[in-house]
Amino acid sequence: MKAWLKNRTKSQIITVCLLLIGFIASMIFINNNYDLYDRTIVQITDVQEINREDQVDTHGNKDEHVTQHIVGEVKNGPDKGNLTKFDNEYIQSLALDYELAAGDEIFLAQDGEATGDIKRDKYFVFVAWIFLAILLAVGKSRGALSALSLLVNAVILSVALDIYIQHPSISLSLITLISIIIFTVLSLLMATGFNEKTYTAILTTLIGTGVSLVIAYVALQFTAEQGLRYEEMAFLTRNPQTIFMAGLLIGSLGAVMDVAITLSASMFEMYEKNNHISLETLKKAGYEIGKDIMGTMTNILFFAYVSGSIPMLLIYFKNAAPFGFTVSMNLSLELARALVGGIGIVLTIPIAVYISIFFIRRKQAKL
Amino acid sequence: MNVLVLLAIVLFALMAWVGGMKGVRSFIALFINFLIVLMAVFVMNDPSGNPIIIALIAVGFISAVSLFFINQVNNKTMLAFLATIATTVILIFFIIILTEQSMIYGLGEEESGEITTFNVHIGLNFVQIATAVILMSTIGAIVDTAISITSPMREIYEQNPEISRKDLFLAGIRIGRDILGTSTNTLFFAFFGGYMGLLIWFKDLDYSVGDIMNAKVFNDELLTIFISGVGIALVIPIAALMSAYYLKKKKKDIVLEDNE
Repeated sequence: MKAWLKNRTKSQIITVCLLLIGFIASMIFINNNYDLYDRTIVQITDVQEINREDQVDTHGNKDEHVTQHIVGEVKNGPDKGNLTKFDNEYIQSLALDYELAAGDEIFLAQDGEATGDIKRDKYFVFVAWIFLAILLAVGKSRGALSALSLLVNAVILSVALDIYIQHPSISLSLITLISIIIFTVLSLLMATGFNEKTYTAILTTLIGTGVSLVIAYVALQFTAEQGLRYEEMAFLTRNPQTIFMAGLLIGSLGAVMDVAITLSASMFEMYEKNNHISLETLKKAGYEIGKDIMGTMTNILFFAYVSGSIPMLLIYFKNAAPFGFTVSMNLSLELARALVGGIGIVLTIPIAVYISIFFIRRKQAKL
Repeated sequence: MNVLVLLAIVLFALMAWVGGMKGVRSFIALFINFLIVLMAVFVMNDPSGNPIIIALIAVGFISAVSLFFINQVNNKTMLAFLATIATTVILIFFIIILTEQSMIYGLGEEESGEITTFNVHIGLNFVQIATAVILMSTIGAIVDTAISITSPMREIYEQNPEISRKDLFLAGIRIGRDILGTSTNTLFFAFFGGYMGLLIWFKDLDYSVGDIMNAKVFNDELLTIFISGVGIALVIPIAALMSAYYLKKKKKDIVLEDNE
């Protein structure tokens, strides 16, 4: 510990202290913020299981219906400090409801007689801190900028959606396009600073996204969107096609940026290690890295999209829904997102290689 | 023609054009991974199995296909594979605890509306399924970060074999820092792109900050992004350390052979 402290600069120690204070303060706050909520919050003090019944549905799926008798302390509102009693019913598979234990904090349902929802804000804040801490530990100031850039992007997205909702006359496509340019420039500048590799990546990302947008649009028009099932977005009161298209572009943007910066960072790193490296060698090395990451990058999007459908796939299968129907209902939009993202990723590789070489050639000419 | 088929053909053509045989293999790997996911779902249909174990096995296969099938077994894929497995093992405990504590399992109110005709009490353990889903959502990013570290590290080493182990490790970490932000960004945008509809729905219904911060779907989504970020950040030093150690050890062996 002493040796570790000795090797740190003053500003690092101050940063760690400030972060610790921030962490402790926000955890205390989030665990005591009951009065900020209108909904009644109850902290469970005692749980007794009073009934457990087997149940079987028409498809032969066995499950158990459980009733818990709950005693808890009201944490806010006029009854603050009083004890309350209610029954919590749940089905053992826990698809929709919750199994409660002493110590859990919940929001009461409107009638005060059942569990409404779980108080999750404290976990959200806790994991956000873990995320920030590990980002800082590995990435140092770069990690801090990454975290900041996620926050900034979240705010931009939120503002962009607010503008869309409050001004129906502005099309979502326009808002999406402007947001994409802001996202790209800000994220990449914050990730790698003001230098050639960043400019390379920004240029590459915008061109790559533009071309994949055209391809996706033409493909959707050409096939008249046959095979896409929008029922999954049925809860929307708006036109799902437009929102899907906007999501398609924003969804692949991160991956396209990733490919662009990975390639330009690696190619510039090689150039910095050896200033007289031939452009042919660089191009070959760039393509080599591109080929290596192409498969795994397309996998990122594939798994990010498809994994989320697993619970729904299981419910369909357990209800004896036909395979083809299940897959097209639950996976058609996800697969389309993964495929369009993949197209963006692959297209970005040659674009990144040639733009990097263009900038490196200019640097070499100055030597 | 079905739009998915057309998009798949376009992707295949591009992968073959840019990546040659390796591109073709990447496309086939994507297809095999799709089959692995479907297989995993089929196995999860059996209530006596443990979805977390099934997901861990699936993740092992998925990493192997993504790395070895596309690039063959060589030192950079082997290193990436080992780094991925090490990271996954560390991460799974974190995910299990978090899923149980924050109760982000099962379906959110927003999702359950669409399946009113179906019975959702199907005797499977949705807590474990949620854990499995988070792990599988993350695996693509971890594998990608691992290979994004080990692959350029070998290129750097080959361009400059005299580099010291420490410098090689630091070069790996530096590349890692460059991609740390964009890798988390990749997932951030992927999830938000996928949940655009839901976000607009939140806004349309005037959800308060408090409502959103406690909503199951929102927490599920954001905790997945955070956990993926932790996984990505963890795999960077693990992969860089393994690569620096292994590549320089190999170098020493060659020197020894020359001396003999």
